[in-house]
Amino acid sequence: MSAAPESAPVVREGTSAARESTFAGLRGQLHEAAAAFAGGPDALEGILLGMVDDVDRAVREPLEIFPVCHHSPASALAMARRLREKRPKVVYLELCEDMAPLLTELRNCRLPVAVQAFASEMDGFPPEWAPLSVVAPITEASAEYQAIAYALDTPDVELVLVDRSSDHVFQWDSRGRSAPEAAGEGPAGDGPDGNGTAADEDATETALHGEAVGVEIGDLRPRFAELEEHLLRHGKVRHWSEWWHQYVELPLGDGDHDTYRQVMFLIGSLFRRLAPGDPSRVRVDEDRERYMWTRMREHLAATGTDPEDCLYVCGAFHAASRVEEFGVAGSGAYEISPRSATVWQHGLIPSSHAAIEAQFGLAAGSVSIAATEWAKSLRRTRVRPYRLAGQDGARKSRAKQTAVPAAGPEQPAATDRLSGFLGRTPALDPLDEAELLGWCVDIVSAARRAGYLASTADAIAVFETSILLAGMRDRAKPTPYDFQDAAVTCIEKDAVPGRRDVRRLVEIMMGGDRVGRVGYDSLPPLARDVHDRLEPLGLKLQQRGVRRALLDMASRPELRDCSDVLWMLRRLLPRGAARTVMGERALGERSIQESWDLALGTHQRALIELGYEGVSIEQVLEQRLRRAAHAPRATAATVLEAVEDAALYLGGGRRLADELGTRALAVLASERSVDGAPEVLRRVRRLLAHYRTSEPVLPPWIESFVKAGYAHYCTLLPTAFTDEDATTGQVAAMLGFLFSMEGLALSLGCDRAQLELAVAQSHPGDPSKTALLWAAQVQLGTLSREELRARCAELLANPLVVPAYPRYLSGFVHALEPVPGLADVVVEAVSNAFGRLPDAVLLPWLPTLIGTLRAGAADLAPLLVREAGRIFPARLAALDAWVPPWRAPAPVPVRRAARAAGQAADVRRGAALAPAHPAAFDALADLLGCTEGWAPAGAVGPAGAALLTAHPATCDALAGLLGCTEGWAPAGPPTAPAGAALTARHPGSATALEALLAGG
Amino acid sequence: MSDLLRAPAEIKYAEELDWLESVDDGPKPFSWRLSPKMVRLFILGSERSDGLDREISQKWFGDRSFVERSIVTLASDRGLLLIGDPGTGKSWLAELLSAAISRNSTLVVQGTAGTTEDHIKYSWNVSMVIAKGQSRESMIPSPIMTAMEAGSIGRFEELTRSTSDVQDALISILSEKYISVPELESGGSDNIVFAKPGFSIIATANSRDRGVNDLSSALKRRFNFVRIPVMTNRKSEAEIVRFRTEELLRRHSIELEVPPTLLDVLLQSFADLRASAAAAGSDDEKLESALSTAEQIGVLEDAVLHSNFFGERTLTARSLASSLVGSLARREPEDLAILNKYLHGVVEPRSKEQGGSWPEFLEGGRDAIATLS
Repeated sequence: MSAAPESAPVVREGTSAARESTFAGLRGQLHEAAAAFAGGPDALEGILLGMVDDVDRAVREPLEIFPVCHHSPASALAMARRLREKRPKVVYLELCEDMAPLLTELRNCRLPVAVQAFASEMDGFPPEWAPLSVVAPITEASAEYQAIAYALDTPDVELVLVDRSSDHVFQWDSRGRSAPEAAGEGPAGDGPDGNGTAADEDATETALHGEAVGVEIGDLRPRFAELEEHLLRHGKVRHWSEWWHQYVELPLGDGDHDTYRQVMFLIGSLFRRLAPGDPSRVRVDEDRERYMWTRMREHLAATGTDPEDCLYVCGAFHAASRVEEFGVAGSGAYEISPRSATVWQHGLIPSSHAAIEAQFGLAAGSVSIAATEWAKSLRRTRVRPYRLAGQDGARKSRAKQTAVPAAGPEQPAATDRLSGFLGRTPALDPLDEAELLGWCVDIVSAARRAGYLASTADAIAVFETSILLAGMRDRAKPTPYDFQDAAVTCIEKDAVPGRRDVRRLVEIMMGGDRVGRVGYDSLPPLARDVHDRLEPLGLKLQQRGVRRALLDMASRPELRDCSDVLWMLRRLLPRGAARTVMGERALGERSIQESWDLALGTHQRALIELGYEGVSIEQVLEQRLRRAAHAPRATAATVLEAVEDAALYLGGGRRLADELGTRALAVLASERSVDGAPEVLRRVRRLLAHYRTSEPVLPPWIESFVKAGYAHYCTLLPTAFTDEDATTGQVAAMLGFLFSMEGLALSLGCDRAQLELAVAQSHPGDPSKTALLWAAQVQLGTLSREELRARCAELLANPLVVPAYPRYLSGFVHALEPVPGLADVVVEAVSNAFGRLPDAVLLPWLPTLIGTLRAGAADLAPLLVREAGRIFPARLAALDAWVPPWRAPAPVPVRRAARAAGQAADVRRGAALAPAHPAAFDALADLLGCTEGWAPAGAVGPAGAALLTAHPATCDALAGLLGCTEGWAPAGPPTAPAGAALTARHPGSATALEALLAGG
Repeated sequence: MSDLLRAPAEIKYAEELDWLESVDDGPKPFSWRLSPKMVRLFILGSERSDGLDREISQKWFGDRSFVERSIVTLASDRGLLLIGDPGTGKSWLAELLSAAISRNSTLVVQGTAGTTEDHIKYSWNVSMVIAKGQSRESMIPSPIMTAMEAGSIGRFEELTRSTSDVQDALISILSEKYISVPELESGGSDNIVFAKPGFSIIATANSRDRGVNDLSSALKRRFNFVRIPVMTNRKSEAEIVRFRTEELLRRHSIELEVPPTLLDVLLQSFADLRASAAAAGSDDEKLESALSTAEQIGVLEDAVLHSNFFGERTLTARSLASSLVGSLARREPEDLAILNKYLHGVVEPRSKEQGGSWPEFLEGGRDAIATLS
């Protein structure tokens, strides 16, 4: 309410006698009303009279202002009539000026479609706004479409879009995207992906605009929640669309041009004057008005057009503007700010009634009802609407209708049509009763089809109830909304039998949701390219709905290219656009037959938006992969995923994969956590396997990656073992990387000592990680299997540790990944657990075991099952006699044979071989220079002593080096302990040793 | 106040109804006492714009279109079936409708497992039959039959609790609009009771009982269903709770203030519990209670009475919490576990964050759970 006073002088300026007389009667009435309600001239009078002033001023503007409201058939009808009557030479339209070149493309489309401006490369906007997208949906039943169709198809008529550019939409959006600049303008909800059911289908349709910011011509709605609530309450209607339909749309339907204009000006002014003072929103609105008037004056000046020949189509809200720039004679030098360097792409995307309703907060079904009303009004008034030549989906019979000129000679501009309109009750429409009857019959048959038990009796009841409801709500005749309520009352029972309830059925019956389609010629190059490349499939992919494609590459090798395109689309488009039924693609795998469910027509918007990113899908994919790899939050795992995708989808050259691989190396080096270890391991393994089979040499980056990864994970290992945040699975994956890449890493110059040290430094506290460490030690050879078994047995034997035993087992199960050779020990440990653990410990742990095995089902389970299959008896009968291998006495056949021969237990292995193959041993002895013959069996002597005597010179030289000055000792068993002579000779060392041993 | 514990709506609002009848100049269907618009006004209350000389209070809170659809149904030749969760105000709406339309809301049949066809049609006064034989005098008409004879609204509460054969007795009443009495002689007009214009039936059914005794399709066809949803609008709910509690306090002549912050706590906790029930996967994870508005009023009523008679005569968050736990914990251990989870998972962080009445509420809830478990 605060907006009125300051601009009052502007309004009142230049009051003429004629003008006083035009609306004098109305002014007088309002003055009296104000006096009666508010008790004297005050704010109320200011508002009421100000409204009349606004109307007066707009009516008098030499450049004819045509106020419209969005999705209003009455506006469209009035527009069609006015255009035929006036035939303006220039049409100014309130629509983002940068969208102009696209409008002619509308003729290739089936409406509703939306004009879209899209920018992914931004300049000067917060990065979290990306991508920027503005959509302006256009329906057939709208005044703007009439204006566009007229201007584009009439020679010598110019269409000028005057509203701020898409760039300014965001420039002026001082807040976040969460609250875009007008209540009616908001990002559409992001519905879940459709997967077949009706509800999901609906959700996809409401999400047709994606996250775009919507702009609309003629946003007309109270900006003041209390006002709207008040209007709804007193209008006895449920939502705004219904109010508009009831109180403006129907009464205005047959009004003449002047009445229409004046009423719309009045409503615009009312909402404007009662708008709350949200400063940023008011500022944007006023800036837009300044912008539009400045542009129009510029255009008039540049072309020298007479303002009388022009028509300015704008929302009724803007017609009541009070900015200085208003009017052809307006003052004020508004400076239009330059656009940012953001690169904007423009295109048409399919829209739908549901999407428009969702985006602009309209009631469900209201746009469909508007479309029905439009068709009805056309039939009734026989006004000939404008249509773009070649418009897709045009009805054929239009030409036969004869145009009835709506009005004769033009009436003098400013006669007061308001007073009469405001005091009149709307006239009954003769079509309605027959129409209502038709609806009643139709809804019953629709309900029957949807599974309801509806009959003719219900049709009668719906008819009766609609009329009763309308009467109850003070309406002369039932509106579609009354009819909907009546149908729900009479037909809906306690449960919905099918997929759709009665409310939805009525919406569908009223015209339902209509989904637009962008024609091939208006598609961006990328989308056209995709359709061209999929041509060999022979499917009508532009149409909505799911098409099944069968690709038999064996018999038709040319389909391979189609298959490549489909796999890329599957990667780039939302789920459901291209879905495989059969066939898969992984590194090194290609199917020879594939079958696809394609819904490119349904997901046309997604495909068109891909077109903004590049000219071919390969290029878009490449960009996306690069962007993913260079994202600030990219991890080694995500970069490797990009590498994998590059190799998978863009197979041909290795260039991109190499580039991304190098990036993966850099990311890995800067990573400090081990969260991604399992993923990294899996992907590197896959990539290695791929390159080993498909390339002559490994790419340099992957060699460096393995090398760097080896050092990296060695460094992180001790911390990961103790870090509580690192899970057992992650540590296992690290070990997996270290052990399975070891061969390659060592060949590239890594040092195994690093790993040994890392393992030696690890001191985990967690039982599962301890088990993992033991497994690692076994793999490294620092712990033998017997020792490991002994440790497990100890754990089981200690009642204090038994409750923790399952956690050790979990560790062992994880250890299968890095140390698959340990499978037998793991099977043994698990079997022991089942055999010996008390139920109270065992049962709570089982879900954990199953969970772990399920998570690693592909890798761990087969290993474990195979090992268990080897160990356990295969048949039930064998079970009784079966002894687990770990309980069986250790089978050492060679040693047992030696013992049987009566030989000493300490004979070294291999000694038995020597007498069996004497010739080989003689040859060996010759080589070594042993000249003595065979020693007698059982002889015991210091090994090597014989060699010493055989080569005395060598021995002497060695003794000299060591400082042994004594001569040769006599052969025979030693008399004194070895070393005693040494201590006698070096008493200092001996004393020091003694002190050390004594602990001093 | 009258000496009735609970006066039916037509007595309670008699004066208002008289006045409305005196100013009503709209067309009245059949023998209705008020025109449909006045019925709506009586139920939903008046506004300044209605231009009435006195204010009519709002008696039922909910979407306007439900009331309109119900009234219009009664003006047509179908019965009205109000269906919804327990505590959504179905019976209250039915009572108001019949009070406004026929000034008699007491012609009620209560559907139970033991309801027989006699309760719907008629039965006999046995001693009179022995003395005088079967005649109209010795017949005991059911409330429905009385409503037919008077051309007023009959009510059938909890329709789905009665067995299918009993329900089906309504079919002929709703379509032919008469009851034949084969025991009486066929010659006279006595053996058929015809319904007068204005007769209709308002039935209520509990959607939680679905499947117990499902309505036959024939009967469904003769009813228009109006589904009353659980109120989720915080503002209107607060309104209802306040309105009903004030009424209660007046009835008990209790001088006790219900602090708005506590009302907020109550509404918020119900909203939370509803949200968690909606998210629950199985029945074990949600409270058995439907968490309706009536339930909320019950909780507040309980807390008020407790504080008045056993407490310090002021309503505290503690007593509110214990009343909440007491009313909602019906199954042990499921309900208690859910409430415990709610207190610790939702209320505890909130009491740390927001303070106010929440810490005390938490305390009270904990104690109540400790006592129960």
